[in-house]
Amino acid sequence: MKAMTFTLLSEPEERLDLSVLTPTGISGLSLAQIESVRVGTSRKPAVVGDLFKLAGKDAENLIVEGGSARFDRVGAGMGAGSLRVVGNVGSQAGRKMSGGSLLIEGNAGDHLGSGMAGGRIELTGNAGDHVAAPLAGELAGMEGGVLIVRGRAGNYAGDRLRRGTVAIAKGCGDHVGYRMIAGTIVVTGKVGAMPGYLMKRGSLLFDRHPEALSPTFIPCGRPDIAFSGLFDRYLIAEGILDRPLFGNRPGKYAGDNSVSGKGEILYRSAR
Amino acid sequence: MRNMSVAWIGSQPVSLMDAIQNVAKLLVSSRCPVFTIDADVHGTRSAIALAERVGGAFDHIHGDTLAREVALFADQGAMITTPGETRRRSSLVVLVGDIPVAHHELLLHLAGSNPDLGDRNKRVWFHVEGALEPPSDAGRLHRKLRPVAIGGEGLGLSGVLAALRADLLGRNQTGSLANVDRLKSALGKSRFPVFVFSGAMNSPDLAMLQGLVADLNKQGRASSLFLPTDDDAWGTALTSLWMTGFPPRTGFSDSLPSYDPVRWDTQRMVRDKEADLHVWVSARGTMPPKGRIGLVSLSRTEKRTEGAAVTISVGRAGVDHDGVAFSSRIGTFHSLTASAPSELPSIASVLQQLALVFPGRMGLPC
Repeated sequence: MKAMTFTLLSEPEERLDLSVLTPTGISGLSLAQIESVRVGTSRKPAVVGDLFKLAGKDAENLIVEGGSARFDRVGAGMGAGSLRVVGNVGSQAGRKMSGGSLLIEGNAGDHLGSGMAGGRIELTGNAGDHVAAPLAGELAGMEGGVLIVRGRAGNYAGDRLRRGTVAIAKGCGDHVGYRMIAGTIVVTGKVGAMPGYLMKRGSLLFDRHPEALSPTFIPCGRPDIAFSGLFDRYLIAEGILDRPLFGNRPGKYAGDNSVSGKGEILYRSAR
Repeated sequence: MRNMSVAWIGSQPVSLMDAIQNVAKLLVSSRCPVFTIDADVHGTRSAIALAERVGGAFDHIHGDTLAREVALFADQGAMITTPGETRRRSSLVVLVGDIPVAHHELLLHLAGSNPDLGDRNKRVWFHVEGALEPPSDAGRLHRKLRPVAIGGEGLGLSGVLAALRADLLGRNQTGSLANVDRLKSALGKSRFPVFVFSGAMNSPDLAMLQGLVADLNKQGRASSLFLPTDDDAWGTALTSLWMTGFPPRTGFSDSLPSYDPVRWDTQRMVRDKEADLHVWVSARGTMPPKGRIGLVSLSRTEKRTEGAAVTISVGRAGVDHDGVAFSSRIGTFHSLTASAPSELPSIASVLQQLALVFPGRMGLPC
């Protein structure tokens, strides 16, 4: 059966809440019912049929052809199946996702993967600020799953990360791993100021020595640990990286000592 | 402004009621109206109530600054006290980061008194500051207060705060802070140290500061004093919280309030043409940014607002009419008496009349 495809007819005039366009969200709905689902956020909200041409019948595998920075909450709450967006998306893509696979072939706005608890998100372009981070007032960010940004991420990536893995391929802004509770963040490329600021536990893994580190991170030399090799194998097996991140004996900092100090920054040492 | 026009449709002077009826028509036909507000409590309440009535969204004119200050509290929470408590109980005041010039008078006033409750020691001042930040405009303040500087070579405010917190907890850190032993000694003597900060800080710095204050409260009492960048903006935030449960950048697209600092950034919505009608409400007469959508201007102005479909000249609370506004000097709202009463209508009264010509003709509930 051919994947159900939503082809964008024209740039929407308003911001859209596309959280309903998930395999679970449209499960059991007829084509006419799907076309009448409200996705607009203004006083006169657009419905799916106003913006998209529908084709295909496999509601477990969805494709959105065409993107817009006004596509908010794409794949939010997804629990199973797959969703592929060919184009850019707005804020909160993959928010509170608990399973399934979300592939975005473009750029994403703020709060990509915010509060996700499971599943896999892959973004081929750049992400805005607050990747995997909580919204205002929430106590934890991402709580599970895998989130891969093939481009660059903005500031505060992995804020309050509690569980799961975030991988960023082309560097990130300031405060990556801010207030981390646990989990793992991998960054290849340049890392901004104050990585791991206020992190309690968890691991930040870099392919180079971090600049502008808080003085509350203490250098621990180059310990001979099994974790780096184990995690290198995981990253390659999952298709996140195509070559080892660390090599032998990565450098290590422990911190943040202004809080519990049980987190770590591992980085590839100069060869 | 007596005998001058107070309302225009386009460039044509009209009666106030004609202008109001025209605004009502624009609002009724709008797909996505947004309100950008700068008013006292009554004006803000009316604007928020009208935004709810028409399914619009609202923000403050200084929305970016206010959103950052709101995020300080929403992301982290804070232990805060009032200027009055600080004046009466605190013998140790620690300034943190840059304090806006608008609040220097308050601090100078504090410096002229000593606590009369608690430990009653002579008040001493410290200033936690980063070496990497641009020089602040605090020369006169420093000359008067003579604060002891807490800083470290090559460390920004984030680094200094982190190192200080670790130091006070007796944990390792690699920075070298000046005068930290003097601060430890002063903290040991003071029964109510207060850390003064402003919305100019970034969120991580505030989180570190509030963690430090929380650490101190495990052994004794300590608090912090927040001085907002703009009192009127902070008053709008408190009014909005009281009315909707959320700060500005809240929308009512499905009748219930929803807070989203990205989606409901009204000036971004105007720039990106997501909104189709911009209602600009400015008691201080600030001019709206140029946009490519319909504009209604309720502004303290003597002439029509350029580019506005309708302009209504309104008064300012505390100048043209009485009102209520937030004051960081007392840490709460205070009443304002008109200093130069005029016939300019208040924002609240214009919006009330607007609601009454709307379909349904129901007044606003405030």
